[in-house]
Amino acid sequence: MSLDFIVVLGQWPMLLKGLALTCLLTAISAPVGTCLGIACAWSRVHGATWLRAMVGTYVEIIRNTPFIIQLFFIFFGLPAMGIKLSAETASILAMVLNLGAYACEIVRAGIETTHPGQIEAAQSLALNRWQIFTRVVLPPSLARVWPALVSQIIIVMLGSAVCGQISTEEISYAANLIASRTFRSMESYIIVTLAYLGLAVALRQALNWAGPRFIFGR
Amino acid sequence: MVDFSFWDIARNLLLALRWTVALSLIAFIGGGMVGLVLLIARLSKLPGVAHGVALYVQIFQGTPLLMQLFLTYFGLSMLGVDTSALFAASVCLTLYASAYLTEIWRGCVLSIPRGQWEAAASLAMNFREQLRYIVLPQATRIAIAPTVGFLIQIIKGTALASVIGFIEITKAGQMIANATYEPFLVYGCVGLLYFTLCFPLSVWSRHLERKLSVRH
Amino acid sequence: MTMHTKTPNTIPLVDIRGLRKRFGTNEVLKGIDLQIQRREVVCIIGRSGSGKSTLLRCINGLEEFQEGVLTVHGQALKINDPHAMRELRQNVGMIFQSFNLFPHLTVGQNVMLAPMLVRALPKLEARRRAEQLLARVGLAEKFDNRPDQLSGGQQQRVAIARALAMDPEILLCDEVTSALDPELVGEVLQVVEDLAEQGMTLMLVTHEMNFARKVSDRVVFMHQGKVHEMGPPDELFNHPKTPELQQFLSAL
Repeated sequence: MSLDFIVVLGQWPMLLKGLALTCLLTAISAPVGTCLGIACAWSRVHGATWLRAMVGTYVEIIRNTPFIIQLFFIFFGLPAMGIKLSAETASILAMVLNLGAYACEIVRAGIETTHPGQIEAAQSLALNRWQIFTRVVLPPSLARVWPALVSQIIIVMLGSAVCGQISTEEISYAANLIASRTFRSMESYIIVTLAYLGLAVALRQALNWAGPRFIFGR
Repeated sequence: MVDFSFWDIARNLLLALRWTVALSLIAFIGGGMVGLVLLIARLSKLPGVAHGVALYVQIFQGTPLLMQLFLTYFGLSMLGVDTSALFAASVCLTLYASAYLTEIWRGCVLSIPRGQWEAAASLAMNFREQLRYIVLPQATRIAIAPTVGFLIQIIKGTALASVIGFIEITKAGQMIANATYEPFLVYGCVGLLYFTLCFPLSVWSRHLERKLSVRH
Repeated sequence: MTMHTKTPNTIPLVDIRGLRKRFGTNEVLKGIDLQIQRREVVCIIGRSGSGKSTLLRCINGLEEFQEGVLTVHGQALKINDPHAMRELRQNVGMIFQSFNLFPHLTVGQNVMLAPMLVRALPKLEARRRAEQLLARVGLAEKFDNRPDQLSGGQQQRVAIARALAMDPEILLCDEVTSALDPELVGEVLQVVEDLAEQGMTLMLVTHEMNFARKVSDRVVFMHQGKVHEMGPPDELFNHPKTPELQQFLSAL
């Protein structure tokens, strides 16, 4: 039993291409999914009853079903309803909907722990409801829940490995392809797994740097 | 094209459901046992153990479950072990669960105030006794809700075992969808089955959290 | 030192008639009649639970009342009309016991935020105004600090500057020194006293009796949800008429 990594590393163009797509999928889904989560969190706290029920249903469905089924439903199931999506689009949509549901609950927890005095002060300064939510409630709330939100984004990034199953050419798909070409399964998977590990660490660092700088000013 | 009735689809899925439940239980119970051992080892302050376990947790939490399954499946074959998909999935999910559970439980133990340890120590209890009679009983109470919550993650994780060929409801769903050309219906049913397993646990976990964490 | 120049206006700035407020079944304000003139400094004293803070919070709409009429600057309070409330709150400022500065913004940004958002003031002008106001409360050099880097007294002074940035006609001060360490109380009271001297209309709920005596034109003693006694500070503190006020003053 010998491990030959060189053969696999020789396929670096394919690995790089896959890595790039994984990064792209995450780069698009993370902000869109987070915004969806914030909108849903707002709805659950301030929305009308029907809106709360709708968002609540969406959140429970996503959180109680596996991501792979959500992906299969969107990619294989929707065409039967006339909605045909490319593998990449289906992957992004599934990731956005998935992150949105989890982000909703995370952000909601942050919003609900806002000190009432903050809101009263903002009201006393004649700010309107939109201004109060976006300028006074949301930034400190995001700061409070940032670690949990970052962890969830990383979970979704790792979960994107499943997208290779619908032929999205991200890095786990590249792993399978290289494994079948070089007959070096273990080495392919080890290298790709290390790539994911590296991505997870880098993503956490990047988000922990970007959050205070761009989003919640502290 | 053979005409399949809804009942045909449902029956096949329900038969496969047994395997989803079985794999979930194997992973949960096995992972719980391994996780408990890791927890105690980590708390015992033996040199190097804490770092080792932390690394173990980092690896499982920082890599995709899908990759872990592939590595286990091909790794076991390479080691000469006769691997079925069930065996590989069981081993992988057990280790996966152990990493997450040990981290969850560690958090619960750490939330017990230092004073409890110190009080027990000043009553001349040794480490094992402090843990067993004072700290673990209190930590267990806090741990129940998140542990039930993680069981939901395990159930959802078994869906990935389909990729290495294990026939649980996701794999069965794929096969049935391909045979019946009804992916919308089939995957909808599969989703519904997972929902039926997981949603009651979600509700229960939230109920437990409210009930068991108020009295602090 | 009390206010000497007071121009009596034809209509009071704040006109409260027959105000009643309940929390559930508990009636906290049992019919308040009170008029505040422009440039007046009115201190409201009383036991906890007498309804002092609740009355103040009704004036800028943070609390809803069930009966009565509350008119500010000629306009009756319409709590369900967001537009009207926005107008009102530009004219009525509030300082809170727990300061409530926005933790994610610097001191300067705290003061600049409302004028920029509500009055659409350009950033440069808002900044200049903020610098002026912070200088007025003695904190010009703290412009770029974060609230948690300041002492309690400093934070409260920033809160005052923030409220002044909206150029209100009346300032409501809700126990603004109660959460401060004793040695920090003086700096805040000094700022409030300066505001009074400069002609700001003030309504203060306070426990600082010496301050009330010194600065107010009128003191209102509230007891069990009603205005029990009212008058110039010398009269009220030196010659309390009702036993409840006598009891309250002797317990201090």
